[in-house]
Amino acid sequence: MTEQWRLLHTGTHTAAANMAIDRAILVAHSRGKVPPTVRFYQWRPSAISIGYFQSLEAEVNLEKCRRLGVDYVRRITGGGAVFHEDELTYSIVVSEDHPSIPKNIMESYGVICGAIIRGLKNLEIESVYHPINDILVNGKKISGNAQTRKEKTVLQHGTIIMDVDVDKMFSVLKVPNEKIKDKLISDVKERVTSLQHVCEEPTSFEDVARALKRGFEEQFEVTLKEDGLTLEEKELSDTFERECFSVDAWNYRR
Amino acid sequence: MLGNTIYKVPKGKLLKIHLDYEEKAHIIQGIEITGDFFAYPEDSIEYLEKALLHTPLKEEVLRKTITEFVSSQGVEFIGLTAEDLTQGILRCIM
Repeated sequence: MTEQWRLLHTGTHTAAANMAIDRAILVAHSRGKVPPTVRFYQWRPSAISIGYFQSLEAEVNLEKCRRLGVDYVRRITGGGAVFHEDELTYSIVVSEDHPSIPKNIMESYGVICGAIIRGLKNLEIESVYHPINDILVNGKKISGNAQTRKEKTVLQHGTIIMDVDVDKMFSVLKVPNEKIKDKLISDVKERVTSLQHVCEEPTSFEDVARALKRGFEEQFEVTLKEDGLTLEEKELSDTFERECFSVDAWNYRR
Repeated sequence: MLGNTIYKVPKGKLLKIHLDYEEKAHIIQGIEITGDFFAYPEDSIEYLEKALLHTPLKEEVLRKTITEFVSSQGVEFIGLTAEDLTQGILRCIM
């Protein structure tokens, strides 16, 4: 019989709530309370997430964020700053001991990104994994991914860009050198793509979610059954949101 | 004395280091290691910053301190190596 995992459609949340939910799933799974889980979600308002090791003030134009109503949050995963607007964000939580998950972290990035690549293929898009943590279509980035491991549990989350406003993105992200900002923006426009650009037909969030669901099912040879967060996860998530992800001491810690 | 560096790791990530050091003796008084790299477990970077306090800014001493920390604590870096950290710190005082 095929192994059954859980699928969560948690809809749209703030940055702090989104990061709190991912962490709550990680904790609940590490306690053995919930099955391996794939989650699809979105961000409202638009938000920047920064990597665990990044400096908030070095990466984010906070003044501009306040003016545009763009939210910000520090992730528990490493990696770079991401501007979340028109995208599908996924997360997967699964035990480090699961037979499908390589012990080696780099290899496990490849395996999990393989689910995204299969998902994109279901939308007739050919993509490739580009180590360390990107997926490319026609040589351009369409997906960025970041993984952490805690309590013997893997959490990987990532984004599938549906459309991108590079000018807006760079108005809220800081660049190391203002003098080369224009060049940097044109470089990023060259290096980043989106479903909007590569799909012949208009593709909705639901289309992408359906394609990715199948992608995860194919990659891990499981069935994804839609369900909701447990009460324990909701309580954990509320606590993490209140005591961690919406607190300056966390977001400004570097 | 303060020093900063932004170091693009060859085939890796961007390392940004803020260093506070004693100018005459060249000893680390404070260090913050930031960037878009990955390190497992994540909080090991904070412990590494503590382990580097009062370390002389000498290439071989830094390399030994970082390498020993990484192997004793079982730290895994992605997009970064112990050698990159050593070179990144040294660039702060160039």
